Amino acid sequence: MRSSVSFILDNKVISEDFKDAVLPTTTVLNYLRSLPVHKGVKEGCAEGDCGACTVVLGELAGDKIKYTAVNSCLVFLPMIHGKQLVTVENLKSADGALHPVQQAMVETGGSQCGFCTPGFIMSMFALYKNHNQPNRETIDDALTGNLCRCTGYRPIVEASAKSCVHCGLDSLTSWEPNVVQHLRSIERSAALIETKHQTYFQPRTLLEALTLKHQHTDAVVICGATDVALRVTKKHELLKKIIDLSLVDELQQIQDDPDCLRIGSAATLSSIEGSIVNFPALRDTFRVFGSVQIRNLATLGGNIGSASPIGDTLSALIPYGAKVVLQSVADKREVLLENFITGYRKTVRADDELIVEIIVPRPSPESIIKWYKVSKRKDLDISTISAGFRLELDSTNKISSVTLAYGGMAEQVKRARSAEDFLQGKLWSRETVEQAMPFIDKDFTPISDARAGKEFRQVAARNLLLKFWSETSPEKGKPR
Amino acid sequence: MNPGLTPHESAAKHVTGEAVYIDDMHVNDQLLVGRVVYSPHAHARITSFDLSAAKAVAGVHAVLSYKDIPGHNQMGPVIKDEPCLAETEVVCVGQAIFLIAAETEEQAREAERLIKIEFEQLEPVLTIEDAMAKNNLLGPPRTMQRGDADAALQSTLHRISGELKTGAQEHWYLESQVCLCIPGEENEINVFSSTQHPSETQALIAEVLGIRKHDVVVEVRRIGGAFGGKETQGNHAACWAALLCHATKRPVKIRLFRDDDMIMTGKRHRFLSKYEAGFDDDGNLLAAKIELNSDGGCAVDLSFAIMERAMLHSDNAYYIPNMHVLARVWKTNLPSNTAFRGFGGPQGMAVIETIIDRIARRLHKDPLEIRHKNFYGDESRNITHYGETVEHNRLPLIYDQLVSSAEYFQRREAVNKFNDRNEFYKKGLALTPVKFGISFTTSFLNQAGALVNIYKDGTMLVNHGGTEMGQGLHTKMQQIAAAEFGIGLDNVKVNATNTSKVPNTSATAASAGADLNGMAVKNAVDTLKGRIAETLAHIFTEKNPERPSLQQNIRFECDSIFDSSHSERRMGFAEAISLVNFRQVSLSATGFYKTPNIGWDKEKGWGKPFHYYAFGMACTEVLVDTLTGHHTILRTDILHDVGDSLNPQIDLGQVEGGYIQGNGWVTTEEIKWDAKGNLMTHSPDTYKIPSVQDIPKDFRTQLLQNVPQPDTIRKSKAVAEPPLMLALSTWLAIKDAISAVANHEIEPDFSLPATNELIVLAVEELKRKKKDIIMNQTVISTR
Repeated sequence: MRSSVSFILDNKVISEDFKDAVLPTTTVLNYLRSLPVHKGVKEGCAEGDCGACTVVLGELAGDKIKYTAVNSCLVFLPMIHGKQLVTVENLKSADGALHPVQQAMVETGGSQCGFCTPGFIMSMFALYKNHNQPNRETIDDALTGNLCRCTGYRPIVEASAKSCVHCGLDSLTSWEPNVVQHLRSIERSAALIETKHQTYFQPRTLLEALTLKHQHTDAVVICGATDVALRVTKKHELLKKIIDLSLVDELQQIQDDPDCLRIGSAATLSSIEGSIVNFPALRDTFRVFGSVQIRNLATLGGNIGSASPIGDTLSALIPYGAKVVLQSVADKREVLLENFITGYRKTVRADDELIVEIIVPRPSPESIIKWYKVSKRKDLDISTISAGFRLELDSTNKISSVTLAYGGMAEQVKRARSAEDFLQGKLWSRETVEQAMPFIDKDFTPISDARAGKEFRQVAARNLLLKFWSETSPEKGKPR
Repeated sequence: MNPGLTPHESAAKHVTGEAVYIDDMHVNDQLLVGRVVYSPHAHARITSFDLSAAKAVAGVHAVLSYKDIPGHNQMGPVIKDEPCLAETEVVCVGQAIFLIAAETEEQAREAERLIKIEFEQLEPVLTIEDAMAKNNLLGPPRTMQRGDADAALQSTLHRISGELKTGAQEHWYLESQVCLCIPGEENEINVFSSTQHPSETQALIAEVLGIRKHDVVVEVRRIGGAFGGKETQGNHAACWAALLCHATKRPVKIRLFRDDDMIMTGKRHRFLSKYEAGFDDDGNLLAAKIELNSDGGCAVDLSFAIMERAMLHSDNAYYIPNMHVLARVWKTNLPSNTAFRGFGGPQGMAVIETIIDRIARRLHKDPLEIRHKNFYGDESRNITHYGETVEHNRLPLIYDQLVSSAEYFQRREAVNKFNDRNEFYKKGLALTPVKFGISFTTSFLNQAGALVNIYKDGTMLVNHGGTEMGQGLHTKMQQIAAAEFGIGLDNVKVNATNTSKVPNTSATAASAGADLNGMAVKNAVDTLKGRIAETLAHIFTEKNPERPSLQQNIRFECDSIFDSSHSERRMGFAEAISLVNFRQVSLSATGFYKTPNIGWDKEKGWGKPFHYYAFGMACTEVLVDTLTGHHTILRTDILHDVGDSLNPQIDLGQVEGGYIQGNGWVTTEEIKWDAKGNLMTHSPDTYKIPSVQDIPKDFRTQLLQNVPQPDTIRKSKAVAEPPLMLALSTWLAIKDAISAVANHEIEPDFSLPATNELIVLAVEELKRKKKDIIMNQTVISTR
């Protein structure tokens, strides 16, 4: 069994055997900063909110390399096994010429204090590799995960637009065949990394994963680790046993069935993005979910499994009637998502079970499904409240079916049952909606916290229902 | 000099990750990690502590309490009211109590866990209101006045009064507080600190270590963002690291973790302001009485200077014949609040802009009409409430150009029409001015020094007292030296700021870094040019004794030095320098500058505190979703005055960046403490600075052209702080949109920041009031 981690850095295969008191949960950020020549990567927050630590991972995709930007503060070293780690130091060409994204940043005045700059450069490099002549929306999306306190971003946006025009060709392109060869040489086998204080399992197959979970019910399960990593970087917890599902290919499949979409629990949100074009409410969720760096790591299984009261995908999936597939060595079962969560970060998942799949039924054409998020900052912010609504009307415009799922209003994502009951069978009109709004107050007793006061949560929750109505009315919904 | 094309001197290093910040420096394997143990209580007595178990942890080299401080236990910058480590009482959450130096971070954390300490809880004061109720002042109140505001208020036709709360703001520099200390021989200590004020850092380290200043060398190559947050509070990490270094005789680095930095350091002062204003039918402001109350936190820090600037900017751009400003700084059990870009100016301006906005709503006029009417005049109505004449007034020029380029009045029409058509979405528009005084109001601080060395190969090393924190100061200094000598930029390097090169400097603050240090560099350059010219005139004359070269005809241009009356007498710069050295002439010179013609009587609150004013205006249009409170900035037009820009790209960057940082303060950046004085918003998870998605969809920034400023370095003006206050246009545009919900007939409940929470609740309140009015009208009409 493999007990080391291999990856490519500076065009060389590097192997880490965790012999020198290096913990498997060492983050890529801390690993890089411990090296003499990789101090370009910066720590700004150690929680994936500022992007100063952004690096790019290269992965085999056929005989090409696929490049994705990630927050290195959230990535444990074993998670980059079999990948290429590209840092800001790697972008200059051999003759010392700046990479087009670097050159453009210099020309537009995109750096002031410079501390966030390496992170921006890496996000821009990933954009450069993945998009030619990106539009403003794509550029903004690529840069959302990077905070700058000096420039006001305008010159960075300009530099991105100006530089991403060479179809991704650059000095790294000529190295690519070499890198592909190196990557192929790294065996993607299962791993067991045992150190004095920590055991890190990296199964390759679902059966291995289930067996491990059966044997080690106390192990923490991770895949993208965007949530769990904070227990290490911010709370300094020593996680004793970890099962990392990121190498289990079976869990990353996305299957587009006629009546439903089946999403592997370990599929990253980025990899799902292309499959949800016909699920507009989900699409809206993903658009404001974290940042590119987060979505490149985070998985749907992780967001659901953490059962956070403000998990954005939960309020978005409940209106679709999504189901969670749970599996253990012995058994496999399907649970309706809204029944899956039972309380504050509590679920029906048994200790030996893994979430293996999420089934999203394809809604009937008559269904109107919308998702809303209220947050202090529109992007890369945890919801103050969120809401996913589904409405079906009969031929007389009466409500035949309605689901109102709210996040941030209670200890778990929950439906506003009494408001739903009130609405059932009534005419879908503003009057009805205004009469239903007070019922939402009855359904929830929100709290005040760092994000907002309870009064705001109540008013906003009512308002979202009105907003939903307005968006079904041709006159009111959009600014005109 | 072709200033338009001069990028930041470190730009290529920034983009490649080669720029070295303190945490990136290579230190030998003796380096220890420094850790600060801070108070978990806002107010408590320390009854006992025991460090023995902590000291016994393997790898731990020092655990220090106040008893281990060899010098004075003091790091207050102006008033000595801030102990370096708490003694018997803690006065805020985050106050340092102990210091640990260990070989690894884990060992230091383990030692922290083993510290035993007992507290006796005392009652904390956590709000301005509570401090006022308990008369908990940090110092004496201050007033400034002109005319008789009380009498004028009695006789004006219209009067308004109200209260305005403006929130705190976290600096959120990307590089958190950091300092590396390396011991030298005997008492010597070399300090690499992320500080805006190396000389003060040096002085305070000498004080806490009980050593003399010449033993302490502080160096700052670059700072990863500061914004005022490292003007005094960079000193703290430096003093702590110095104590550990002194105790262990090993290099020690302290870098605060983000959450610790946010919990431990001060913020922009929150204010609770009250006002009364009187005006006539046309909206002419006749009198204003303003009361400013700031939350100073647990110690003075710079609170009084900040309050003074708030008082001096309570007029913003408006002539107010009768004005009275009362100001009080309150003491609370929160970390001592500190400098932040604008330094009180934003808080003062927010009050007067609120007054103007309310006058407009009362008189059913466009706020811009009221603003324009009340602008300072050129010949008359041009003296401020503290006696300074507003000279070189650029307000009319900026107003005329911006109203036209931003198409303000056409867009006002369009906004009104949009608001008539839409119930749930409202647009808002505001054009607001900034007039900001440039100079430290503590007049003696307006001085700077430089040291310019020319080496025998013709290359030059410029030292000056300012610190580079992203604002492009070093680039501007490099440009000035190169331009004055007529040589290429690549021949001029600006050195890391170092107290052993240029001593006794002021903080790089008050937007004055380039003004002061630029003049000092020029002064040094002039001295050198004089010596070189004299020597070259001699050399030229020796070859042509019959037609001597005169010193005053020696020119420095195009990498050469020549006699303008005998243009064939010319020498390459490097060749000339080597000859000058051969003639035993010094190629090193110091420069010095102090701001002329300022005089400020703090006692009377009267005089000329500022060398000049910087001006600017911004026009912002927002779209507000009144159901969620989310806002989008649709378009922003800025016209800002920097005199003859030293570097337009850098200055534009300062203007745009300042505006966006100000937008954070007025919209999403909300700081909350809980009932025990714990900071609730202690990470970027809950504290939201603007992201790329929050900038205007259409962002048009221009520098005002053809406005050279007399008596400044190369006719330029300061930039840095003033543009932050352009963001008041965003704040008031949001208010304008909210106000549209009730057709601008009811004054909305409004404060700062305008979070989505505030917006939604203000809209709710307006809807309620509107309904009440309609119902009352119905009652009246049915009677």
